[in-house]
Amino acid sequence: MALFDARLRAPIDPGVSRRGFLGSSVMASTAAFAANMRVLDALQTPTLAAELKRQHKSVILLWLAGGASQLETWDPKPGRLTGGPFRAISTDIPSVQISELLPKMAQRMKTTAIIRSLNTRNGDHGGGTVLMETGRAKEAAVDYPDLGALIARELGRADSQVPDYVSLYSETEGRHKGGPGFLGARYAPMFLTESMIPPNIRRLDSISETDHQDRAAFQKLLARRFIDKHSNPSVASHGMAYERVRGLMSSESLFDINQEPQSARDFYGPTQFQEQCLVARRLVEAGVPFVKVARAWWDSHGQNFETHRELCADLDQGMSALLDDLGQRGLLENTLVLTFGEFGRTPQINASLGRDHFANAWSASLSGCGIKGGAVYGKTDADGQTVVEGEVKAGDLFATIFSAVGIDPTKEYHVGARPIPIVDFGCQPIKDILA
Amino acid sequence: MSADPTKFKVARTIRLKSIGLCIARLPQTERLFVGGSDFKVYEINLTAENPEPIEFQGEGHQSYVTGAAMVGQQLVTSGYDGRLIWWDVEQRVPCRNVIAHERWIRKVVASPDGRRIATVADDMLCKVWNADTGDLLLTLVDHKPMTPHHFPSMLYAVAFSTDGLFLATGDRVGHVVIWEVASGKKLSEVEAPVMYTWDPKQRRHSIGGIRSVAFSRDGRRVAAGGIGTIGNIDHLDGPSRVEIFDLQVGQRVQEISDTTYKGLVEQIAFPVSESWGIFGGGDNGGFISFYDTETGKPLHQSKMPMHVHAFVLNDAEDTLYAAGHNQLAVAEFKAEANEEQKLDPAAATTGN
Repeated sequence: MALFDARLRAPIDPGVSRRGFLGSSVMASTAAFAANMRVLDALQTPTLAAELKRQHKSVILLWLAGGASQLETWDPKPGRLTGGPFRAISTDIPSVQISELLPKMAQRMKTTAIIRSLNTRNGDHGGGTVLMETGRAKEAAVDYPDLGALIARELGRADSQVPDYVSLYSETEGRHKGGPGFLGARYAPMFLTESMIPPNIRRLDSISETDHQDRAAFQKLLARRFIDKHSNPSVASHGMAYERVRGLMSSESLFDINQEPQSARDFYGPTQFQEQCLVARRLVEAGVPFVKVARAWWDSHGQNFETHRELCADLDQGMSALLDDLGQRGLLENTLVLTFGEFGRTPQINASLGRDHFANAWSASLSGCGIKGGAVYGKTDADGQTVVEGEVKAGDLFATIFSAVGIDPTKEYHVGARPIPIVDFGCQPIKDILA
Repeated sequence: MSADPTKFKVARTIRLKSIGLCIARLPQTERLFVGGSDFKVYEINLTAENPEPIEFQGEGHQSYVTGAAMVGQQLVTSGYDGRLIWWDVEQRVPCRNVIAHERWIRKVVASPDGRRIATVADDMLCKVWNADTGDLLLTLVDHKPMTPHHFPSMLYAVAFSTDGLFLATGDRVGHVVIWEVASGKKLSEVEAPVMYTWDPKQRRHSIGGIRSVAFSRDGRRVAAGGIGTIGNIDHLDGPSRVEIFDLQVGQRVQEISDTTYKGLVEQIAFPVSESWGIFGGGDNGGFISFYDTETGKPLHQSKMPMHVHAFVLNDAEDTLYAAGHNQLAVAEFKAEANEEQKLDPAAATTGN
């Protein structure tokens, strides 16, 4: 299979992930694997122990679309003119304070680390979104995959019958699908916008369940006979595609929070975002490696404090319930929960009592899997205008995320002959916040 | 008549160190008291040779100072720290500090006789206090703590009637309640839901709310100010809006929606001697508008140098002092003296 494209945009074959290399379906693809430049990728395959460490790890990204204010969340500046009216409150980590708008999260900082020194320099919604979705600036020659696709490829199981990447984005403002870029459509998100239940996965009413099962069995029979005579990766991939469709059709109930007892639904809360957090837990519990829950729209050019009083209450309840639930089910040690968006907000308060776009000194949080709870990395000045300690780029954040879930941040893909590092050049994981 | 809205002009501005969120004036003087986003209270004496803000001392507020009212010779301020502070304006130091609410206090107002003050806060309570002792007299409960969309609500506005017998309160979702001060009994309620914009699809949060209330001079009507429906709730990009209700019939009788000057109507005043109302507020900029409240027609509108968060009038009701974004503005709208007043200048100052 040719991998070269004049514009270096041809998708690479997804069947050669490390997980695939170790998995049951690898035999069929090994020949193709060794026959192209991606052998460099294989040479970096880590040990089996490291591979196993990654098993069943998941990432949930709570995407704060529009740009949440770091001053009203993770980096308060009480008493400063830029600080706004909210107080900083103590947390369960004595040395750490966060905004009073997150009182529940304040009691869960033992599982959470904060980065207060993101300097991503792009205060434009479009550019900032691409940057924080892919970990690097947009480049005309390469279509980079987003975080969800990268995680799906690295942590997804080839034999999985659940989706590898689910993205919930119900609001319309700032909606951006993201995508698999050069990794190819296999790692594209299941993108849910109108409903939390995926559309078009139900069996047609005109086909009975018996007929449906009989058809599947017949397809398997024919496929097996074909594979016996024509074994090659394409045929195997074709068969896997059928298996995944069948898996998706049977996974509808995963998205249905009516399957949860009322007490669980009450625990998360009644808002759409809180219900989506519950869906996220159901998905990772079932083995989905990456779930993005977008909460829009934090773009508070007017009435920043009122907006954050609403949205932070939503976030605080949904996120704290999610962490508690994951913890109680023993899933938090293998699930990394993230919060960030495309940028933060200006320390300067404008005449509408709003805050504008600001990418020079803002915050993100990381909870659970692989994270040193209670750690705070980086520092901004007294007014929150600049990073004064431990500047972090988007790529550094991505390297930290990969390291936390056991993915080698020095890994490289190859698009054609060009090596593409999984994180941007020169970026490093933040060891201070890794467990 | 000493005032003429068509003569409105900003006479001077004074730079503030922070966002001026509230203002009060010592009667019969040009001594102004401004509270703001730096948690501090300042005096600005306009009769001074160089009227610079002078900071009050002592243990003050721990958050934004959002309400100011005069009770006799004392100033009372309220803040997002939930505190009420009484100040000696001569010494410029606090003389009483009361923990009044569990959440942000949005406003404090004094009764016309100065014996009571009323506060509203985001605990959704209106409280009536003895202005002399600081004792709590009444707690008025009606406004719902959560919006219909499961978010915390906010209680922004409160006003006494001119006879001091009634209170009006207005909240984020457009609910207005009329209270009897003596008993604390709820007398009536009216709704102005257009003041609350809920965006269910694009951004899934809300903006707006009733930011100001005021009784008409005869107490038969109450006006509620805020902002109309907003398309893009990232900004205050909606018509400034005032709704006037006839309390006898419990119905809206005027709906003033103005796109000439957009944004929130932060304060409403009905001068005692005039037939019009004054509305002030803004979006990224600011405005003062004069409206004939019988016809709902604008008499005069003027852009202000900043978003106006609060204003007070002088005793003659022909000069307005506005606190806003980093500035204090003094605007005059004095009627031209007639022949009799020109001959006897003292006659021009007895309009009140």
